[in-house]
Amino acid sequence: MSNVIEINDYSWKYVNTRTPAIEGINLTVEEGNFVGIIGPNGAGKTTLAYSIDGLIPGQYNGIKKGTVEVFGTEVEDYAKGELQQLVGVVFSDPEAQFTAMTVEDELVFGMENIGLTLPEIQERLDWVTELTELSHLLMKPPYEISGGQKQRVALAAVLAMRPKILVLDEPTSMLDPVSRGRIFEVLAKLKAEENNTIIVIEHSLENLIPLADQMVLMADGSILLQDETQAFFQQSKLLLDKGLYPPGAMHFFHELKMKNYYQGKYPLTVAEGIDLLREIKGS
Amino acid sequence: MNKTLLGYVPNESPIYAVHPFVKLFFLLIVSLFPMFVTAPDWNIGLMFVIIIFMWISRVNMKTLKIYVPVAISMGTIIFISYTVLGGTHPEFELLARVWGINFYWERVRDALVVYFRILPMIFTMVFFLSTSRERDIIVAMRSVKVPFVITYVFAMALRSAGMVLEDFQIVRQAEQARGFDPTGKSLPYKIRQYVMYMIPLFALSLRRSEEFTNALVARGYAFTGEFSKVKRADYILTHYSYKYFDYIFIALIGIAFIALLIFRYGFGYFLVEQSWLMRILHGAVS
Repeated sequence: MSNVIEINDYSWKYVNTRTPAIEGINLTVEEGNFVGIIGPNGAGKTTLAYSIDGLIPGQYNGIKKGTVEVFGTEVEDYAKGELQQLVGVVFSDPEAQFTAMTVEDELVFGMENIGLTLPEIQERLDWVTELTELSHLLMKPPYEISGGQKQRVALAAVLAMRPKILVLDEPTSMLDPVSRGRIFEVLAKLKAEENNTIIVIEHSLENLIPLADQMVLMADGSILLQDETQAFFQQSKLLLDKGLYPPGAMHFFHELKMKNYYQGKYPLTVAEGIDLLREIKGS
Repeated sequence: MNKTLLGYVPNESPIYAVHPFVKLFFLLIVSLFPMFVTAPDWNIGLMFVIIIFMWISRVNMKTLKIYVPVAISMGTIIFISYTVLGGTHPEFELLARVWGINFYWERVRDALVVYFRILPMIFTMVFFLSTSRERDIIVAMRSVKVPFVITYVFAMALRSAGMVLEDFQIVRQAEQARGFDPTGKSLPYKIRQYVMYMIPLFALSLRRSEEFTNALVARGYAFTGEFSKVKRADYILTHYSYKYFDYIFIALIGIAFIALLIFRYGFGYFLVEQSWLMRILHGAVS
């Protein structure tokens, strides 16, 4: 697998701020990987997402050090709009990213921008509405639908452009658990069927862990931990120290370990936890 | 029900069969009619025609009630401007003198002429807004090849107006949740407190602008549309096509306007001097 994103010793300081939002970051993402980024507020996660899509430094003033390369090219070196064909970003507030009057207009806007023909637009529209189950909402104004539907529209609008890399910045922060689950269902389908490289910044670990191949922990503008998901969550103490509570099953086994009742690896999901308990009971 | 700019119109309404450009053309041309007509009879007739169109289009007529206070206050302002504040005109026909104020027939007549010119224009606008969605306006403009940038800026303006109103509601509710209640307070107090709304509203607008710009850039939007080096497809227009009756409506509206101009300037019709309504009124007040 080739690397699609290579970030080397990258720092970014917004103008008129004292400390850098991101400092000395190194990150490599392989093609087709699903990467989860977690960390407390103010850790620099959104700045990192914007840096990958070229919104930083394109739309913001500040001081940049190091390099952010997407498909081997520095983000500033891409022609206007070219990078956005490769990298799609879904922001946390879906309503803030709506640019059109109906869901259908919203979905086709990006496709028109990248110069697709009418048959191509139609084909992608059919695909994305089926994937995100939005067919019945096409004629509705995007700001009049439910929060979960809004976020699916925002995701579909980006997916319709078929970016090779998808960056989702806290896509479920405003959603209830059911709507959250539906967004992750779409991401699971994408991972299974489309082989997209997906980077998700998220606080909801229950949904993220089963999909993530790799996890990144950020705090105070730095990457504190970066590893494959299973290995990453064996560092429960560090996560707890940073105020990040692992899912229930993992937390339970962490507590068992602290009390010397258990010495093995932490399970990532409830199902794995049940299996593990069965094994312990059987032995 | 489909939400329009001024309310809701049922899905079964025949207005949806009409191309959005026809509606825009109707608005732009028919609202000019009263400019060339000084006889209120004809303008009242036009209002009735528009009401019939609204009824055919299945616009909820109850919503028209909200315009009654507007019509009354507008009429009052026009009447006061022309009569009480109309000045002294010895050459005019004096109808009455109340508390030192002269009421002349010509000024009353002119007030009525102006009032019945503005009302049909408002009716035309209400008809258009009651039967059109934001998308219709955009489609209408794009169908006559208005550049995408202009239609898009227009759409963004519509969108941002809605967003500012939503934000205003949020700020107001937040203020009320913290015990702010201007009921029964003096007007200067209310004005002073309303300034308080402006600060968070302004900050929210700045943030929204930033987010909106990011969204546009993230979707590959450039005002020039040049980076893809291909013609921008207009998918939305594929849902709309002109039917034979659209051409008939456009022709009828155009012919009506030309006929109006010919009768007005060629034969001297539609003048206030020919108005039977004014003659009856004059007879009643003289």
